Amino acid sequence: MAQANETRLVEPDAKLTQDGEQTVGDEAVERPLIELVGVEKSYRMGRLDYPALRGIDLRVGAGELVAVVGPSGSGKTTVLNVVTGIDRPSAGTVTVGGLRIDAMSEEELAVWRGTHVGVVFQFFQLLPTLSALENAVLPLDFARRGSKRERIERARHNLDLVGLGDKLDHLPAELSGGEQQRVAIARALANDPELIVGDEPTGNLDSVTAGEMFELFALLNGEGKTILYVTHDLGLAGRAHRVVSIRDGVVVAA
Amino acid sequence: MLTATTRKSITDLSRRTSRTFFTVATLALAIAGIGLFALPALMNRSMNGTVAADRLPDLTVQIRPLVLDPPQLAGLAAVPNVTAVEPRSFSNGPVYVGGRRAFAQVRGIADFSRQGTNVVHVVSGTAPTSDEVLTDLQDAKHGLLDVRAGQRVRLVGADGALRFLRVSGEGRNLDGAQSVISDNVIVLYADAPTVASLSGVNGYSELDFRLAATGSVAVAHTVTAIRRVLASMPGFKGFTELPQTRATGDWPGKSRFLQFTKFFSVITLLALLSALVLISNTVTTLVAEQTSEIGIMKAIGGRRRQVAAVYLETAVLVGALGTGVGVVLGIVLANGLARYFGSTFYAVTTGVGVDWRIVLVSAVVGIAAPPLVALPAIRRASRLPLREALQASGSAVGDEDAGDRFLRGVRFLPRAAQIGLRNVGRRRRRSISTALVIAFAVGTLLAVLGLSAGAADASRASWGDHGEDVKITAQGHRRFDAAAARLIRATPGVAGIEPMFVTDVDLAGKDAKIWAVRQATMFHYRIATGRWYTPAEEHDEARVVVVERAIARVAGIRLGDTITVETASGRVSFRVVGISTNQQENGTALFVPLTTMHALMTGMPADDNDYWVRTTSHRHALIDSTTTRLEDTLTAHGYPVNSEIKYVRLANEVASGRTLTTTFAVVGFLIVAISMAGLASALTTSVMERTREIGILRSIGARSRDIRRIFATETIALAITGWIIAIPVGYLLDHFLVWMVEAVANVDVPFMFPLANLALAVAGTIVLALVVALAPIRRAALYRPGDALRYA
Repeated sequence: MAQANETRLVEPDAKLTQDGEQTVGDEAVERPLIELVGVEKSYRMGRLDYPALRGIDLRVGAGELVAVVGPSGSGKTTVLNVVTGIDRPSAGTVTVGGLRIDAMSEEELAVWRGTHVGVVFQFFQLLPTLSALENAVLPLDFARRGSKRERIERARHNLDLVGLGDKLDHLPAELSGGEQQRVAIARALANDPELIVGDEPTGNLDSVTAGEMFELFALLNGEGKTILYVTHDLGLAGRAHRVVSIRDGVVVAA
Repeated sequence: MLTATTRKSITDLSRRTSRTFFTVATLALAIAGIGLFALPALMNRSMNGTVAADRLPDLTVQIRPLVLDPPQLAGLAAVPNVTAVEPRSFSNGPVYVGGRRAFAQVRGIADFSRQGTNVVHVVSGTAPTSDEVLTDLQDAKHGLLDVRAGQRVRLVGADGALRFLRVSGEGRNLDGAQSVISDNVIVLYADAPTVASLSGVNGYSELDFRLAATGSVAVAHTVTAIRRVLASMPGFKGFTELPQTRATGDWPGKSRFLQFTKFFSVITLLALLSALVLISNTVTTLVAEQTSEIGIMKAIGGRRRQVAAVYLETAVLVGALGTGVGVVLGIVLANGLARYFGSTFYAVTTGVGVDWRIVLVSAVVGIAAPPLVALPAIRRASRLPLREALQASGSAVGDEDAGDRFLRGVRFLPRAAQIGLRNVGRRRRRSISTALVIAFAVGTLLAVLGLSAGAADASRASWGDHGEDVKITAQGHRRFDAAAARLIRATPGVAGIEPMFVTDVDLAGKDAKIWAVRQATMFHYRIATGRWYTPAEEHDEARVVVVERAIARVAGIRLGDTITVETASGRVSFRVVGISTNQQENGTALFVPLTTMHALMTGMPADDNDYWVRTTSHRHALIDSTTTRLEDTLTAHGYPVNSEIKYVRLANEVASGRTLTTTFAVVGFLIVAISMAGLASALTTSVMERTREIGILRSIGARSRDIRRIFATETIALAITGWIIAIPVGYLLDHFLVWMVEAVANVDVPFMFPLANLALAVAGTIVLALVVALAPIRRAALYRPGDALRYA
């Protein structure tokens, strides 16, 4: 666990220019933040084994903005899950920031995720009994970073960043879908992670809100965050630096 | 072939096995509780068998020792309505148990091989012959005397000489067993000559009769006839106590046992109520989480009735499973308790029995109750508009109310604990009913503990009224006279003495005891209304009485009334001059001037058979040594005595009260078990409902200890809420139990609700709840985030 805490991810070297032009170099992918080698994943469905991933090789450089696309059941979410340690691969290796996360224990993974990864879900997945501020501060509390006051200040800052500084005390039920997703992004930013993953982060939003949300991702990417997201929306996928296409558990284009 | 709806009912249960297990367990425990109602029938069956085997007497008369030869016994057996007669003799005196001196009663049997009634069964060894004794089974069971056949016991005879008697074996007799338990004396059986040599008196002092007809008129005629036959025999001086009759179907200690089982009923009903609350809870949750499925069923043409039938079938299935397990458990529980009571209190081995009426009631309640309590939730769900039902997520996110705002206001706790606390507010109804069931359990224990404290206090108060340190009772034929009084007074360590005696009377069909005591007594009487008798009344042998409040209430006696009592020497009337709040003889004592009773009981055992002795110090060592000196001195002068040390009797009574309340508490644990099963069920459901949340929390960095903290806080919050509700519940239940003790047993127990018990209860509740919650909490903490996020 200590090893996970002390390890630094590679410095982001991908930047967006003021006009949004991509400047990610090949050297970024040569020194990847994420590296999946021969990853397989099967789920047990009753008496049957369902192969979700059938040998994925994927490299994502630090500072990249990568979209993962593919039809339903192709294995998109599973890719995100193995990258974040939410799921363990049945075979192959998963290295993130130089760490073999497939070899970590569940507790090490929890600590690692809390400090190095921000996750944004399709259905926002906020805790309904916590206010926007409390939801946004939660990863900081789990990571026990800084004093209580510092954590609150940081969460407040993140909520300001996503434009919700005036709704700190609102419960999720009192927020619109877009606002809830902004809280989810503020939560993902809590520990200033190098990597942000989104599982259909705009899937439950109208097109205008989805566009705004993507702008937020692009902005974060511009600040050096590596963004990996799953989407069905080819328009939004097209705005990524790179599109990884998955079908039947294998990468068909990257 | 099962229909699709029936299959759904079954799979609804099988897909959530933990919850189904806890629900079935809850119901099974409650149904097992109903099994306790079978206890009186099971005990009755066994005891009636024992009564028949023992040929328990229908009528017993006490007389001064009277020598009866076989023709005279035949004369008594020939009295109309008498079918068998058995004479008994007694020798009471000290026995050495190791180096300790205890009190023993040796019962003389005329002929072990031909016992007409009140049979003493030889359980092991052989019947005693000359200078041999048989020990009662209960002697060893109650830790009074543990000797084997072939060993010897050392008894002190009436002449003060030590006698060594060989133990021939172990015996069993219902009456003897009751003496061991009620009077805490060692009971031994010997042949009549051995008893005569111990007591120094020939003759029998008790006659046991079996009767053909046991109606009150027939018994009264028989008593008259027996008295007439006895009167024709030289040496007969009348009955020393009121003749005792046994109603058909009665057995020693039956009424006390039945009173005891009434308390079980209260606890059983509470257990059943707890279980029904929990089952209602579970079905409500089941229906709530399946609201969208209800929507789907309605969308594809399911009618309300059909949809409701699916969940009613589920409830019936739960009921059937719980009933099956509960009935078996109830039979085992009832038989186990019957066996325990039979063996502990009566030395009777009860057989295995089933009360089919109770089984039938259990089955009806067990199968019918779950669908009935589930009905409101099912109705609600089946009437939900289709669109609303289809959109329901099953997760609880309601509008925020004052309760939620209060829980949100608790900010001093760590974040994980705050989440746990707020979760309690999310499923308000379930949380409240879980807390209620915990409250029933904790409240019951608080009430039982309160009753126990009250009973102990009553014992202390009752014995606190005694001014003496030791009571010396004359045993055998020789009563205390002036010479005995001088010996007692002259014994070193004695500070004061007071003669008194107690005699059984019948007061309007109720058993009571007259305490013949002096006007200026060392007894601390407490007058509620009226007064104590005056010196003039004592001098004039006035027929005045001070009645204890408990029996006055039962018999409807008021100040100024004239009451008539039946004594061994006939009917006597007294004027009631006072009602006292004392609680002697379980509240049945009537205080009469000693002079009056002397005058009334002429020719009877009017000699003072008891002396209250106050010692020069209350130090136990001095009381003990003075008592030993009194026994030795009096026995050496031909007065066989029994002594009763106040502090020892008080300790025994408090301990016996504690045993009784411990038994209540054991049965009370049935409710505790149900409530804990309910808590485990609620937490399991909570973990299931929040599985996706657990996945999210794990995804954003929550460690297993954070997850544990969330659910542990929820557990503690429920336990504390339950405890808070338990305080008024326990308070009211304690009042109810005190009232019930008064109504059923006619014993005044002061109401006590010790605050220290509240602290004990909150600690116990939290610890127990956390222990019960270990499994669901562990399950929550071990979820892998991926599995948790996919959980449906």
